[in-house]
Amino acid sequence: MAKKYSMIINLAKCIGCQACTVACKFQNNVPEGQFRTKTPANGLKGTYPNVSQYFVKEACQMCQKAPCVSVCPTKASYYNEDGVVLIDVDKCVGCKYCMTACPYDARFLNKETGAADKCTFCYELKVSNGEKPACVSTCVGGALMFGDLNDPLSEASQFLAKHKGEVRKPELGTHPNVYYIYEGVVK
Amino acid sequence: MDVIWGVSVDEVAWGGAIAFYLFLAGIAGGAFLTASMTDLFSKKQYPKVIQSGAYIAIVSIIVGLGLLVVDLGRPLSFWKLLLNVNMGSVMSIGVFIVSGFTALSVVYGVLVWLNAAAQKQIKITSANTEVAATSVGQGLQAFRKPVAGLGVLFSIGTATYTGFLLSAVTTNNFWHTPFMGIEGIPFLPILFLVSAISTGLAATLIGALNCGDLTTYKKIDIVLIILEIILIFILYLSVKPVFFTGSMAVLFWLGVVILGLMSPLLLSIYSLAKHKNVILPVCGMVVIGGFCLRYFVVYTGQLFK
Repeated sequence: MAKKYSMIINLAKCIGCQACTVACKFQNNVPEGQFRTKTPANGLKGTYPNVSQYFVKEACQMCQKAPCVSVCPTKASYYNEDGVVLIDVDKCVGCKYCMTACPYDARFLNKETGAADKCTFCYELKVSNGEKPACVSTCVGGALMFGDLNDPLSEASQFLAKHKGEVRKPELGTHPNVYYIYEGVVK
Repeated sequence: MDVIWGVSVDEVAWGGAIAFYLFLAGIAGGAFLTASMTDLFSKKQYPKVIQSGAYIAIVSIIVGLGLLVVDLGRPLSFWKLLLNVNMGSVMSIGVFIVSGFTALSVVYGVLVWLNAAAQKQIKITSANTEVAATSVGQGLQAFRKPVAGLGVLFSIGTATYTGFLLSAVTTNNFWHTPFMGIEGIPFLPILFLVSAISTGLAATLIGALNCGDLTTYKKIDIVLIILEIILIFILYLSVKPVFFTGSMAVLFWLGVVILGLMSPLLLSIYSLAKHKNVILPVCGMVVIGGFCLRYFVVYTGQLFK
């Protein structure tokens, strides 16, 4: 059965250490100054000493109806058999149409290859070997979960059954496969 | 960029090169349309207008395509756009429309040039060589009007394509704006088509300066400018005001509205009433305004998502 890989980000557990940011860069050889994922601070609130803020991990949202895939003129952006949005670097001409279409600013033009680049869920290097993406396995606070939503017994499915997962910009109808849990976070 | 604090830089995927390409493709489409429609339907002879339009179309579309290729992340792999086709992508369809248009405009330009050369030769050669010189040219000239006719379709296609390219980005609030709120009819292709014809006609007239009576063209241009003003007004009413008050506001109000539409309209009406020749300033402003419009649309859509 086809898989439906998904990432769940439990914001209350994220301390903003950027271990995911660094692990991703090492794993995927992302050029200097460019990021497939990063975790900026959000929602700074209150006055000292009663202040709060949280961190939101940003990366490709792995949309099931991905605007980048539909606009790509060469079919370089595609869904693989497990529902992961990937880029065939050989087919990409670097027209940046996908970058104008992505509502999450998840894509960039790789300085070294000239092709569009983004998070792959570490599909080729890790997930296809049964491992978890680099950011997930390195996360110190245990804020990241990864699994197959088509398997009701997976950690991801079990977690989402009990907690309210939100997707970014649901009004755009992109149906992301990355879920954010805001429980315990002052929005 | 700061990873944690996410200092936002106003980075856009498509910048000035793409805005200039959209502008040039519009000029090319409009100039070709001016030349070919004159060639096909005008009872009066306007050889200079036909030549000017035909040559401007070739130069603009080739320079525009050059910019497009240079702007790619991998310029040398542009040919892959011709091999890997995605019929669901407006850009992929556009590649074939624009390629077809470029080919037709080059063929048409050569035919127009041969025709003009033959006309000149008739004037200078003696009567007995005249027959030989024109018969070769005439054989090819039989293709001129069919090429012009097919080119009309492709030039309209090219001009509207530049709008569809942007309006197809459904996640972009500004580019995806529907016409009069009717879902399914995108706004930008209509606006860009009118602007393309207006700027292409203006550029053609600049190239055919002092070539007899161009009153008909001036009147058409006035109609087009008025149409564009109405369209811009509809756009103003149909989108969020942030698009016209942000960092691109000056370009919109000064470049598009005042310089590109209001000034040429008033000057042009004044010149028709007073019979003064002001083609150069009027058409110059229309062309510059057309560029401002493309630049404004390309940037605003990306800066205020």
